[in-house]
Amino acid sequence: MKKKKDFRSGCKLVVLNVFFTVLCLVVLVPILYALSVSFSGKGAALSGGLSLLPENPTLENYRTILFDKPFLLWLKNSALLSVGTIAVAMFCAIPAAYAASRWRFAGRTSMLRMLLVLNAFPQVLSLFALFRVLKMTGLLNAHAGLIMIYAGSMCVFAIWNLKGYFDTIPRSIEEAARMDGAGDLSLIARVVLPLARPAIIVTCVMVLITVWNEYLFATTFLLDKNAYSLAGGLYQLQSNDYSRNWSVFTAASMLSTLPILLVFFKVQKYMVSGLTAGGVKE
Amino acid sequence: MKQKMRIKPWLYSLPALILIAVVLVFPIGYTAYISFTNMNLYHWNDYHLIGFANYARALFKLDAGFLSALLTTIIWTVLNMAIQLTAGFFLALALNARGLRLKRIYKTALMIPWAVPAYLSILLWRVGMFNTEFGILNKLLVLLGFEKVDFLANNTIAFCSCMVLNLWMALPFMISTIDGALQSVDRNLYESATLDGAGFWSQIWRITVPAIKPIIAPAAVMTTFITFKQFDIIYLLTQQRGYMTGATLNTVITYAHQNAFASNNYGLSSAVSVLLFLLIIAFSMVTNRSLKEESA
Repeated sequence: MKKKKDFRSGCKLVVLNVFFTVLCLVVLVPILYALSVSFSGKGAALSGGLSLLPENPTLENYRTILFDKPFLLWLKNSALLSVGTIAVAMFCAIPAAYAASRWRFAGRTSMLRMLLVLNAFPQVLSLFALFRVLKMTGLLNAHAGLIMIYAGSMCVFAIWNLKGYFDTIPRSIEEAARMDGAGDLSLIARVVLPLARPAIIVTCVMVLITVWNEYLFATTFLLDKNAYSLAGGLYQLQSNDYSRNWSVFTAASMLSTLPILLVFFKVQKYMVSGLTAGGVKE
Repeated sequence: MKQKMRIKPWLYSLPALILIAVVLVFPIGYTAYISFTNMNLYHWNDYHLIGFANYARALFKLDAGFLSALLTTIIWTVLNMAIQLTAGFFLALALNARGLRLKRIYKTALMIPWAVPAYLSILLWRVGMFNTEFGILNKLLVLLGFEKVDFLANNTIAFCSCMVLNLWMALPFMISTIDGALQSVDRNLYESATLDGAGFWSQIWRITVPAIKPIIAPAAVMTTFITFKQFDIIYLLTQQRGYMTGATLNTVITYAHQNAFASNNYGLSSAVSVLLFLLIIAFSMVTNRSLKEESA
């Protein structure tokens, strides 16, 4: 009897292992295929072959994207936009989140609710109005304008996320520092922020990923090709002539996915504590 | 002190509020204003107020396309969520089968699509999978002796293609959420259920599902909103300027975008945006209430 049961669960495990191996392969095919195209020589992409290994392996596509296209310039712009957005968003969100977490004041609850409602409006539909805003302020075609928009749209998320985490930091820790005569701002900088590290990191990463991946605003509000971010530049690259640029595009995709992939798996351990501390109350 | 506490919190919130006023509040207000005007290609600067005409057109004229887009959006959201929750649940369950030693490797591999930037995933699928010349799916079909298929050629097949891609992009999050929730289920419950003679399915229905429901409910609601608002997949696959594929598939959000930027009918587009906004607010009020009751 026991043997029969062992045999059955053994069969089940074999079936499951085969199933998951096949599933993982199928799921990864789009990425593996793009990876293989990115290392393939001219014409390979059009051939009938189905192999996931590159034909006539070459680094030509990577050379083209790195040196013949303004990829490095786009990369620099993306880095600039990311850092700028993170700085502005955090500068605005941290004091607001601290105020909402520590003080009870008239209008607090309605402010927090209002922020959620505002966040429900799909950003794509603000495109036209934002164009007007940028034109009025003279920030069209400037990185500063784009940073303002990115920071504004990530600000709500940042405030809610940080507020939730600040709520879990006991006030008694702050009281001790207050006894020593620390003011509110130095208290935030020296006591609260170090304690809220996981939440700060996750919030920054979320902002970073959003900015890194945003193509629609970037291509609408920046008119100068050299000002493009990576996402904008790659979008433009494929929309101009994808048939000629396809293998170069795959190389570019691999290059711009890699940093995000690394960051993603690096912060995964923070993801749970940083994102859920605010929402879930045990 | 009391006086100070009235002003200080607002002072701290001021930078954020200014930024939000410019980037979020103004566009919504401006859109609402435009929705009552006849701003379009012919009335670019000399537009004037026309009352609720745009709303009437969106809601009561069938050929305006809004209602069919709304129907498409609802079908899209319901189908996607149903498949995501079911497939996510069973995959997570299978990952947690006792004795599956390679679980971590499988899980990491399945998480990768989540980490790839969304716009790149979509563009890679557009050419690498669906395209008739470069796409691996068509290469496979030719190799097996079939005719080539244009996976984006008409509405039905484009809808299916978009859905497959959406599932590919969204399932990792669902699997990892449900997998996390499964860890919190008390294993002893299963043992005693087995002793009572409960089979696999009745264990799932009586123990697993009720136990994880409150944990995955917020994630499911969040994903529903994201699916409802999904723009990039349909836009990048079928509507890019110069690469219209022949499908005229529209969800409400691509419909609003198309009316503004392809046919320059800003009044109608704004009215649709406002309707969409109201719809989302109503929906989030309903789900908020039911989420609260569930956790209470």
